[in-house]
Amino acid sequence: MLKVLVIIPAYNEESSVPYVIQDIRNHMPSADILVVNDGSRDRTAQVAMEAGAKVLTLPFNVGIGGGMQTGYMYAKKHGYDVAVQMDADGQHAAADLPRLLSKVRDCDLVIGSRFLEKTSYKSSVMRKVGITFFSRLVSLVTRQRFTDTTSGFRAAGAKVIDLYAEYYPMDYPEVESIVYLTRKHCRLMEVKAEMRARETGKSSITPLKSAYYMVKVTLSVLMSAVRYREGKA
Amino acid sequence: MNVYILSVMFSIVFLVMIIELVRRRRLKEQYSLLWILMGFTLLIISVNVQGVERLASFLQIEYAPALLFLFGLLFCFVLILHLTLVITKLSAQVLRLTQEIAIMKGEKASHNEHIH
Repeated sequence: MLKVLVIIPAYNEESSVPYVIQDIRNHMPSADILVVNDGSRDRTAQVAMEAGAKVLTLPFNVGIGGGMQTGYMYAKKHGYDVAVQMDADGQHAAADLPRLLSKVRDCDLVIGSRFLEKTSYKSSVMRKVGITFFSRLVSLVTRQRFTDTTSGFRAAGAKVIDLYAEYYPMDYPEVESIVYLTRKHCRLMEVKAEMRARETGKSSITPLKSAYYMVKVTLSVLMSAVRYREGKA
Repeated sequence: MNVYILSVMFSIVFLVMIIELVRRRRLKEQYSLLWILMGFTLLIISVNVQGVERLASFLQIEYAPALLFLFGLLFCFVLILHLTLVITKLSAQVLRLTQEIAIMKGEKASHNEHIH
């Protein structure tokens, strides 16, 4: 039996976090749930605890990368076999968890992809352009096909937990972390995953932020590609 | 009064300031070295007017004091880069500390729960 930890990074998500936790408990009662409360100013920590999750509270907001890494550091320290990361806003469905976990024995990181097969997910044109751009870029750099590099729904095995506890990209980590892992000789795989429309709150992405995101992540990906030469461990 | 005298005066005041800051432990010795080096360089080139003018004509700079500004500017770039390197390292250390504290606090809370 694998020891599984589900990590949920949360910043001001008091309204959705209890439902996410309940969803996971319904589908994966054996998994431990860890909410990384990234300096929220609402009742995220309390409602998560009441819903039965373990909560780590960062004293101030360190951003998604720093928050995620805290979860992986915890997973490493407590000897989990698998760490799953899931968004706190309810966009990822816990019903997909068994499918991700069924593949994590065969490789080091399983990514839940919205685009591997046709799912009900709909996105704006601009978002689609960005997602396609990064999938092409990462596929080119890693010479492996990826369809959804920005997905934050992932299951990591012990090797990846160790690597992430040591180094995890900051700010916008999803895309760069794929390149980092392939360069560290991890095997990565995508499986189909549904993504729901946002239940509460608003996306924090604005046009200006998107432009900054594109440039910053592209630079990070290229830097990761040259930092870790292929063929060397 | 010309720019050379002004810059000699400035260098001397500057060097005294640096030494005073180190003495009061307001500035680390490690970081003060760069500033002391810069103060002395400025002093030497300010005193040595002929040297500056010769170097300026060698570099085809018509207005010799412009060389002083050039040196100052280049030094500023190097120093700012140095500072951003220090900040990068500091922010990585602060992040690690924040994460370790969050994990420790979380463990302490669940430990207390078990006792009660």
